[in-house]
Amino acid sequence: MKRMILAAVLSLSGVDAAFAHAQLQSASPPVGGAVAAPQEIRLTFSEGVEPKFSSIALSGPGGAIVTGAAATAAGDNHTLVVKIGHPLAPGSYSVKWRVTSTDTHRTQGGFDFTVK
Amino acid sequence: MSSRTLSVQAASLALLLAPLSPAPALAHAVCGSRVFPATLAIDDPGVGDEVALPTISYLPASLAGVEQASVSYNYTKTIFPEFGISFGQGAQFANGQGWGRTDLQIGAKDRLFCLPDWELMGSVGVNVDIGKTYTNFMGNDFNNYSPALDVGLGFGGLPKSLNFLRPFAITASIGEDMPDQKFTAGNQNPTNLNWGFTIQYSLPYFNANVAQIDNAILKRLIPITEFNFSRPIANFDTLGPAVTTGTVQPGVIYAADSWQFALEAVLPINSASGRGVGVVGELHFYLDDLMPDTLGRPIFGGRK
Repeated sequence: MKRMILAAVLSLSGVDAAFAHAQLQSASPPVGGAVAAPQEIRLTFSEGVEPKFSSIALSGPGGAIVTGAAATAAGDNHTLVVKIGHPLAPGSYSVKWRVTSTDTHRTQGGFDFTVK
Repeated sequence: MSSRTLSVQAASLALLLAPLSPAPALAHAVCGSRVFPATLAIDDPGVGDEVALPTISYLPASLAGVEQASVSYNYTKTIFPEFGISFGQGAQFANGQGWGRTDLQIGAKDRLFCLPDWELMGSVGVNVDIGKTYTNFMGNDFNNYSPALDVGLGFGGLPKSLNFLRPFAITASIGEDMPDQKFTAGNQNPTNLNWGFTIQYSLPYFNANVAQIDNAILKRLIPITEFNFSRPIANFDTLGPAVTTGTVQPGVIYAADSWQFALEAVLPINSASGRGVGVVGELHFYLDDLMPDTLGRPIFGGRK
């Protein structure tokens, strides 16, 4: 609601409102969580992101794990998805992400999750 | 009333109010996974396009028992991606004196480095308090130049075994006040060493890097304590022995995607710094996020 008010004020001033600096809002598997073997990694950001200039790297007990290319979810450019090619064995895994928001601000981060 | 009497009153009031005057907050900063929020007592290490509007403070009593309140703004604008300028001013109330406008402050700041994997960044800048731009004795009759070095370090590089410490960050600032007059109307204008630091625990960082927080408000909070000190180091021999003044400011910042609100208590560290507990609050807009294609981008050199 507050963002809408801000956007309304800015539009009245003749300036297009847009939002940047994409911050991770939620993830699947969840940040620090424990899950059954996931089929994909899905990261939802506070802003829209550009998949061509964004990446998600996954590593596990045996080192780096090959994933598919990062893509945005259908109809939702706030959510970045990579497919995992094979089932993950139980253990601890790390995700490192780097994203470029739709207005070119860059952010990065990382977290761990556990496969039961 | 003669101009000399006015100047003496202005200088005396400025001296009495100085220990507890809140510094204007400048830009927030992003380095790697770390977002250093805009802080109230000391400057953060970033350069950005932002506006603090308003900053409101109430301070119960200085050493001389002067109660004060103020409302101010500060605007920062990037010229180049790593270099920005700022200006700000405020209205201040002191009991027995009424309301007046404070001196205009201008500044320039350059981000020296950002090491994303270390969440470490630093900047150097200078603020200038332009004398005689006040009304009703709420400023100085001289210019005051304040160079400062600001640094910030996030603890995200700690090993995963210390995961719950990784949301911690510290920022620090050290600088000097250098008046361009040694005396004004018979009053000595000391050179002060200013230093301070903040300790902050970022729940947004916790949510994104340690463990997911489901509560929508909690995951945007940054509990923080600021420590802010000043001590005369030169040109103070007629003012008595050098005394360190300062405040400790515990509080919390609510960080939305494109704005933040900060609220802190102001606790004087000694009787020379004031009496009682004050409060300072600030609404702060990140123009680089709100208007990335217009006011929120550097004039030259593209986006950060």
